Amino acid sequence: MSDAVTATMTFHPQPQGGAPKPWAFPAPERGELSNGLTVLRCHRPGQQVIAVEINLDAPLDTEPAGLEGVATIMARALSEGTDKHTAEEFAAELERCGATLDAHADHPGLRVSLEVPVSRLPKGLGLLADALRAPAFPDGEIERLVANRLDEIPHELANPARRASVTLAKELFPAESRMSRPRQGTEETIEGIDAAAVRAFYEAHIRPSTATAVIVGDLAGVDLDQALADTLGAWTGGPPPQRTVPPIVGDDTGRVVIVDRPGAVQTQLLIGRIGADRHDRVWPAQVLGTYCLGGTLTSRLDRVLREEKGYTYGVRAFGQVLRSTPPSPAGGGSAGASLLAISGSVATEVTGPALEDLWTVLRTLKEEGLTDAERDVAVQNLVGVAPLKYETAAAVAGTLADQVEQHLPDDFQAQLYARLADAGTVEATAAVVSAFPADRLVTVLVGDASRIAEPVKALGIGEVSVITG
Amino acid sequence: MPMGHTATQQAGSGGLKATEHRLANGLRVVLSEDHLTPVAALCLWYDVGSRHEVKGRTGLAHLFEHLMFQGSSQVTGNGHFELVQGAGGSLNGTTSFERTNYFETMPAHQVELALWLEADRMGSLLTALDEESLENQRDVVKNERRQRYDNVPYGTAFEKLIAMAYPEDHPYHHTPIGSMADLDAASLEDAREFFRTYYAPNNAVLSIVGDIDPEQTLAWIEKYFGTIPSHEGKRPPRDGTLPDVIGGQLREVVEEEVPARALMAAYRLPHDGTREADAADLALTVLGGGESSRLHNRLVRRDRTAVAAGFGLLRLAGAPSLGWLDVKTSGGVEVPGIEAAVDEELARFAAEGPTPQEMERAQAQIEREWLDRLATVGGRADELCRFSVLFGDPQLALTAVNRVLDITAEEVRAVAAARLRPDNRAVLVYEPVQGADAADDTDQTDAAEAADTDAEGEAAQ
Repeated sequence: MSDAVTATMTFHPQPQGGAPKPWAFPAPERGELSNGLTVLRCHRPGQQVIAVEINLDAPLDTEPAGLEGVATIMARALSEGTDKHTAEEFAAELERCGATLDAHADHPGLRVSLEVPVSRLPKGLGLLADALRAPAFPDGEIERLVANRLDEIPHELANPARRASVTLAKELFPAESRMSRPRQGTEETIEGIDAAAVRAFYEAHIRPSTATAVIVGDLAGVDLDQALADTLGAWTGGPPPQRTVPPIVGDDTGRVVIVDRPGAVQTQLLIGRIGADRHDRVWPAQVLGTYCLGGTLTSRLDRVLREEKGYTYGVRAFGQVLRSTPPSPAGGGSAGASLLAISGSVATEVTGPALEDLWTVLRTLKEEGLTDAERDVAVQNLVGVAPLKYETAAAVAGTLADQVEQHLPDDFQAQLYARLADAGTVEATAAVVSAFPADRLVTVLVGDASRIAEPVKALGIGEVSVITG
Repeated sequence: MPMGHTATQQAGSGGLKATEHRLANGLRVVLSEDHLTPVAALCLWYDVGSRHEVKGRTGLAHLFEHLMFQGSSQVTGNGHFELVQGAGGSLNGTTSFERTNYFETMPAHQVELALWLEADRMGSLLTALDEESLENQRDVVKNERRQRYDNVPYGTAFEKLIAMAYPEDHPYHHTPIGSMADLDAASLEDAREFFRTYYAPNNAVLSIVGDIDPEQTLAWIEKYFGTIPSHEGKRPPRDGTLPDVIGGQLREVVEEEVPARALMAAYRLPHDGTREADAADLALTVLGGGESSRLHNRLVRRDRTAVAAGFGLLRLAGAPSLGWLDVKTSGGVEVPGIEAAVDEELARFAAEGPTPQEMERAQAQIEREWLDRLATVGGRADELCRFSVLFGDPQLALTAVNRVLDITAEEVRAVAAARLRPDNRAVLVYEPVQGADAADDTDQTDAAEAADTDAEGEAAQ
C-alpha cells in the first residue's frame, strides 16, 4: 500500500527560495526623563502586548555578606504592596489590567518585566512605577517571602539541572566570589533576611538615575511621553552610588564532581568554564563555533550523542554572559565573562560512553576544525532566524535590556548579524576550540555514583570526586 | 449582565482573517496574511494523537512523530532539520492526546521549501523509514521520558492523575509519552501501519500565516501536496464519552523521594468547544490562576501552608477536559488541613460564584494569554489548525476570546457547583520518603505542557 502511495505522488525538485526581504534588528530611540531615568522605546507594529523591561543597577555582589538572597527577596517584594495598595490589592490590580509583572535578581543587576495589553499600558506603567517608587515592604509580607523562599530551596536542589548548576558555580568560582554562591541565597543566608534588610538594600541601590526602562510594542496610539511623565517620571532618588566591580576568575582545572543520586535513571551533565563576553572581539566567532558544536539537533554533539547513539534527548553547548563591565576608555575591553557550558542528560548506563564520545567530539574538533559547509549553515541559521526570533515585543525588549545591562551600544545586536556573516571557518574553529578546551573543563554529573563513577574515572578527564546529593 | 471587561481592539478578530480551501485529495488549507514582519509560519495538524493508540502500543503516535524527522523520499537523514535551519527557519513537532502537529516558521522567502518538505514526508515517508531510525529514535524518546518525567521530582504526577481520571481502557487513560515497555515493543511494522492508517491528506489541516501571497502559496500547495493520494484507512478513535462526574473520590498516595508533600487532584470538566468549558476556564482562573487567585491568597498568603497553589486546565474535545489542582506544601504542613481549606474555598465559590472584580480579572488574564498566542505567526497558525481539526471551523479561532468574555458569573458559578466537587476528582497525595525506596524524583509542569511532547527538546540554559 505504501508503494502505491509513493508511486502516485509526483515529486518535484527542492525549491531554492526567493529573494530575502530586508529585515533589521530594531533601533530603539534613547532618551532620559527629568529624574535621570534612561528610556529606550521601540515601536513594533501589530504587537498588542507591550513589553516593559526595567534594568536596576543592583548587582548581586553588592548584597551584604551573609545576606545573600536579599536582592531576590527585594525583587519579589516590589509587588507586595505600595503606598497605594496592599499586597493583595496590588496583585488584583495588575491582573485587572491583564498584566504580568516579574522581577528577578542576577549577577549584573535586577530586572523587572511588565507585559500588558496596549489598551491598559498607562495603568500598567502606573503600577510598575508604584512598585519601584514606593514599595511598602510590609514586615508580614517579607516574612512570608522569606519562608516561601526557604520552602523553594529543597525543590530546586531536587531538580537535577538546578542542582548541577549550583554545584558548577561552587566549583568554578573562588569561595569569596559572589558567583560561587546560589543567586537566590542559601537556607542560612535567607533565614537572616527581614524587612529592614530589604529596605536597606532598596535604599542603597534602587533609584531612577541608574535605571533604564525599555518599552517595546505597538505604540502608535499611545502618548508615551505623557504616560511616562505621569508614572515612572514621578520616581525620585539620589545620585548613583560609587562601586567597584570585582574581576571574574574561574578555576577550570579539568575535574569531575559527581553529585550522588542513588537510583537515578539518568545522569545530568553540566560541563563548563568561563570565557569571553560580548565585548570581546571573538564573540561572533564564538557564537558561531558554539552553535556548530552544540546549538541544535544537527550540531556535532547531538549528531553523535542523540542521532547516532540515542544516549540523550539532547545536549546543548552555549555561552551565557555572567556580567560585563563598561569598556575602558583606553580600549582595554570589558572585564566581564561568560559561562561557557555543555548541558544535557544521558541514560545512567551509558554515562561513561556518552562522555567518551563527547570528549572525542571536542578533540576531533580541535584536530580537524569546522568545515566550511558547517560554518555556512550556522551563519544562515543564526542570521536567518533573526526576524523569527524577534517577532514579539518581549523578545526585542529582552535583548535591548540585556545590552543595557552589559554596557553594550544599542545597535550591538544589529551589528552582530553583520559580524556573524563576516566570521570565517578558521575564526569560528579557533574560537570554539579555545572556548571548550578538552583538558580545561569542569564536569558536574548529577547521577548514581555507584554506577557512573568507575566508568567516568576510566576516561581520564580529570580527578573524580563524589559529593552527597 | 456584562461584567465590565471589554475586549481590547485586537482581542477579537481585529488582527486575524483567514480563508479556507480544500484540495481534491481532501487536504484542508487555511491561509492568513500578515505583512508586518517578513516571516511566515506553516503548521500541519494530523488528526491523530495518543487517543488513537491501542493497548500495548502507548507512545506510538509520539515515537512516530520523531520518525517523521528521519527522512523521506527526497530528504535524507536529518535533512528536514538541516534544510529548515539552514534556510533560517525554526521547526518542531509535538504530540498530544488529540493531534500531532508539525510546524516551521520561515523567513517569508523560504515558505516554499517548508511546503516541499512537509509534502515529501506526507507522501513518501515509508520509502525512507528503516529499522536503524526506529532503534535510534526509540532510545531518544526513552531518554525524553526519563528527562522530562522519570528523573524529576513529581515528574510522573500528571501520568498518574490521568490514569485515575480516565478509566482503564478509556482512550485518554494514558499520556502521549507512553510506557517504557510499550516503547520497547513498538516494531517497524507498527510504525508503517500507523503511517498508512493516519497520515493522509484527508486527515490533516495545513495552515500558513504571515507574509505570504495567498495565490502563489495555494499554487505551491497544489503543486506539492495535490498528487498525494487520499485514503480512508483511518480508524476513528474509541469513544471518549464519560459521565459528567466521576461519581466518587479516587485517591492514590505516592511515597517517593520528593522534596515536600504535595496535594494534586484532577477534576472532570466539560468538553472543549462548549460554553461550559469556557466557564470552567474562568472558574479555574479565579480559583487558582495567578497571584490574586482565591487558592493563592488563602494557602500561600494567609494560611501560609503552601509554597505554591494553583489550577491548570487541559482542554480536551474528545473526552471530558481536566482541571488540575497542584499544591506543594510548606515546611512540615500536613495534607489534610490543606485539603480541607481547598474544599472550603471550592464550596464557597460554588455557592457564591465569582465577584464582579474576579470576573474582570480572570477575563483580562485569559484575554492577554490569547494576545500572547496570537502575537506570533506560529501561534496563529496553530490556533487555526486547532479549531479546524477539533471543531471543523478555523474561523472559531477568531472569536475565541469573545466567547470567553461573553460568559456570565452565573455560568461560572454553575460549572463550579456541578464539577468542582469532591465526588468528581482523582486525588494524588505525595508523601516524601528518604533514599532507596523512592522510585521517581520532580518538576512543576502545567497541564498543557505536560500533555505535549516534542521532537527536539530544548536543553536547559
